[in-house]
Amino acid sequence: MTMVLLVEDDAWYAEQQQRLLKASGYEVQHASDAQRAIDLTSTQLPAAIVLDILLTYNTAFALLHELQSYAETSELPVILYSTQTELMNRDALAAYGVVAVLDKTNMHPLDVVRALKKVGI
Amino acid sequence: MTRRETSRTYDPSLDGSFGLLSAAHELKAPTALLRQLALELRGIAEGDTERRLIDQMILTSERSLRLTSDLTKTARLQDGLFEMEPVNAQQLCEEVAHELTPLYRAHGRTINVRPRRQAPLVVANRDLLRRVLLGFGDNALHYSHEDTSVVLGVEQRDRFVQLGVRDQGPILPYRGVDARPAVTGRPQSSGLGLMIAQQFADVMNGTVGTRRHKDGMTFYINMAMSEQLSLL
Repeated sequence: MTMVLLVEDDAWYAEQQQRLLKASGYEVQHASDAQRAIDLTSTQLPAAIVLDILLTYNTAFALLHELQSYAETSELPVILYSTQTELMNRDALAAYGVVAVLDKTNMHPLDVVRALKKVGI
Repeated sequence: MTRRETSRTYDPSLDGSFGLLSAAHELKAPTALLRQLALELRGIAEGDTERRLIDQMILTSERSLRLTSDLTKTARLQDGLFEMEPVNAQQLCEEVAHELTPLYRAHGRTINVRPRRQAPLVVANRDLLRRVLLGFGDNALHYSHEDTSVVLGVEQRDRFVQLGVRDQGPILPYRGVDARPAVTGRPQSSGLGLMIAQQFADVMNGTVGTRRHKDGMTFYINMAMSEQLSLL
């Protein structure tokens, strides 16, 4: 089963995405902060990371920098979502493996699954 | 295509609006979550009444997100580069009406666009102009009477194009002055929507205003006509 790492600090949002991802056939590991996400990638490498921008403690950007610094995780596809997507430079994010940026304010709950499918995961 | 940089030195932390903007930002995430949960529920709802209630939740949360998103956008007006481009005014009105139609339908109302053959181009930031019209449309829905229609229209004037939203709601008192939020808010309205529209208009060198009719109001924005019009 394809494993996806979900990094989301809102418990109910995480619960919804886990529910939908599992229903779509993915195995899901959940981290509520960046450090926990790094720890999880050390134990099992996911096929992709689904990442909220605003996290408790470090932001998603700190995590993206960290992932880029390791050979094992530098190629991981990342799907970002946020309520502030208009502030993001999508070209710059592509260098961090970001394959999709979803706007939380107008996305459909299944858009994360669709984004994963779109990149063949 | 041109870029215009705003030169204002507005600092939201100095005038008390910082709290308002922060609140708007903080409200975005929980409102987005409510919408997402409602959308998921919509997919498994079976009864008509259940679906109708869920639709109302979705549409209400989307309306709330539009407002909070507009508010947070006002905070970035002074430091942003806003791309100004020729925008087809009629087409934009049709897009806005299309976007608002589910909300109007859920309220048992209709929203239409006055047909027009030649569509004038205006110089605007498409996103900001769209937000202004959506705001006027939200306002018109709230204040229009049940059996009336709200109509978006484009009128070409001497040097500018007026994009207006005509409703049949309460008429504002005549004060003989240009529309300013502090004096033109409707009953039980904070005037916040107009204030936002005015700030967006300022950035685009446009103006917002209101026109009284015997049976309602038109909220409008005047935008400079694109010189590319002469090329058509």
